[in-house]
Amino acid sequence: MIERSEQVRLAESLARQGRIAPAVTACYQALRVNERDPLAHCLLGGLMLAEGFCEQAARSAARAIELDQRCAAAYFVLGLAYDRMGGLWDRSVLVWQQLAEVVPDLAAAHVQLGEALAAASFADEAIDAWERALQIDPREPRAMYHLAMAALKREGMATALPGFRKAGELDPSQDDFFFALAGYDAEGLSAAAMSDIGPGIKSQLRAAHAFAANDELFKSSELIRSILDGHSDDVAALSLMAYLYLKQESVNEAMACSLRALTISTKTPTAVYALGAAFARRPALAAHASKLFSALTTMAPGQAMPHVLHAESLLGLQRYSAAGAAYRSALALDPGCVRALFGQAAVALTAGDHTAAAWAIRRAAYHDTRRRGYFWGPYDAAAEGGEQ
Amino acid sequence: MADDAPLRLYRALVKNDPAAAISVVEQVRAEGAEPDALLDSLFAPALAILGGSWADGSINEYVFTQASAVSDQILSFVTPPRMAGDTGITVLVGSMHGDSHDIDKNIIAAALREAGHRVVDLGADVRPATFLQRAEETGARIAIVCAQMVATARAVVRVREMFVSDGRTDLVLLVSGAPFAADERLARAVGADGIVGGAESAIRMVSHLARQRRGGGSAS
Repeated sequence: MIERSEQVRLAESLARQGRIAPAVTACYQALRVNERDPLAHCLLGGLMLAEGFCEQAARSAARAIELDQRCAAAYFVLGLAYDRMGGLWDRSVLVWQQLAEVVPDLAAAHVQLGEALAAASFADEAIDAWERALQIDPREPRAMYHLAMAALKREGMATALPGFRKAGELDPSQDDFFFALAGYDAEGLSAAAMSDIGPGIKSQLRAAHAFAANDELFKSSELIRSILDGHSDDVAALSLMAYLYLKQESVNEAMACSLRALTISTKTPTAVYALGAAFARRPALAAHASKLFSALTTMAPGQAMPHVLHAESLLGLQRYSAAGAAYRSALALDPGCVRALFGQAAVALTAGDHTAAAWAIRRAAYHDTRRRGYFWGPYDAAAEGGEQ
Repeated sequence: MADDAPLRLYRALVKNDPAAAISVVEQVRAEGAEPDALLDSLFAPALAILGGSWADGSINEYVFTQASAVSDQILSFVTPPRMAGDTGITVLVGSMHGDSHDIDKNIIAAALREAGHRVVDLGADVRPATFLQRAEETGARIAIVCAQMVATARAVVRVREMFVSDGRTDLVLLVSGAPFAADERLARAVGADGIVGGAESAIRMVSHLARQRRGGGSAS
């Protein structure tokens, strides 16, 4: 049980708003009131880590753990601080192992443990840790990326490529990209879109996309069927149906729907995407996928994902230099694109550049940790536990 | 190709008749259609018709799913083979004696295999005599020796000496690894014919050597 003081609540609120300096001040105030407050130490550590002060972060996190050995967020801060300082893999491994013991069903702990073990050259143990992460959460993309990299090192690209594709499918950015191509933002895919369905086709399409974005695939399919009953040539509905079939691993149905949409209008980016993604699932059709994704880079300028998809299809064609160039294009548009960074690491490995590969993997892990908010999840769990 | 071929293929798909579907593909092929064009000119239009029929309600979900399953069965008849055909070129790949680094070696071997070459992977920590022995056993004319440490990179000269002492001056010795990438003179010093810079470079160099060999009238 961790009680939250008023000062800690204030610090939290400021931290969530991105106001780091006043949040740090509030943490110190909280510690003046109660030096033995593990949440204050933990939060201070998290803030220090976010600002790149790894040694201070490690000190605060270590103190938080000393005060509360079940404070998972503090283990995260300590482990990440050791990882970022570099050269402290023995300590890092120990911290992630402790976190895995404190919260055994936390997939992220095993992913981080695997990364620390890999950095310490324990390749087999690292693979075991990533496999454990996938047992806990089969939808954990980072563990899948690492296993694909391990397969590349041992057996080559043909074995690794399905792993990269699977990791990409698990990566939420690919779904976001489809809905962005369809012209929907977060508001267009909100719960309101699902509950407030008007009689017009526009409202129905918006709801169908919202259901799809919220993994309500059956409801989305039903809605599309009713749209197509009245408008069988609606390319947006056909493209969304192709996307839904892809989500259900029905690749040929997806091809049929997207090809039908492209017969009606060749300039439908969602259909081009769905057909490319369907072709990409068939290794023999990598060249076809490559052409479509190349076209998509022009249809969706400013988006990193088409370049990533293009690069992955080029990997399947053993055109590693061209794939590297496509990944670089993606990273120029989005330097934090986790999928492109893992891909760049794979390309570097095929060229024997281990240093570049290790650097790209570390950057990928860094950006993935940031985007998925690894700190706040365990922190909130600890704080909520304190209020019970 | 007859204009109605995609329609005939579509009909075979919705009748859940793989034999008829394959027969349509074979007829189109017999009429002279290029194998590489079958997917674009026959399969894709047939699937587009299938998607349209499902969308306008001409066929129901069950028939659509069945037809898609049949289309999956005939996909291999309309797509080019996944792997490149056998080039007939045999390549020995191994890490030098005393060197247990095998990541680059594994990636190069796998890439060459995917490109259709016959790869004999000797593993890591391979003695110079083993390269010669396996070259004689397999008829390989190309050996790629990987070394990631300066000491083992320098020791590659013993592989070349082994080849020369046996009169095998025809064997092409390619080297790979960080020491050679950092200093090309080292590759020349150990008697290497070239430096492999990675998987793509390996495919390019082996394909180039294969073309040279064919041009010279001898196959490896």
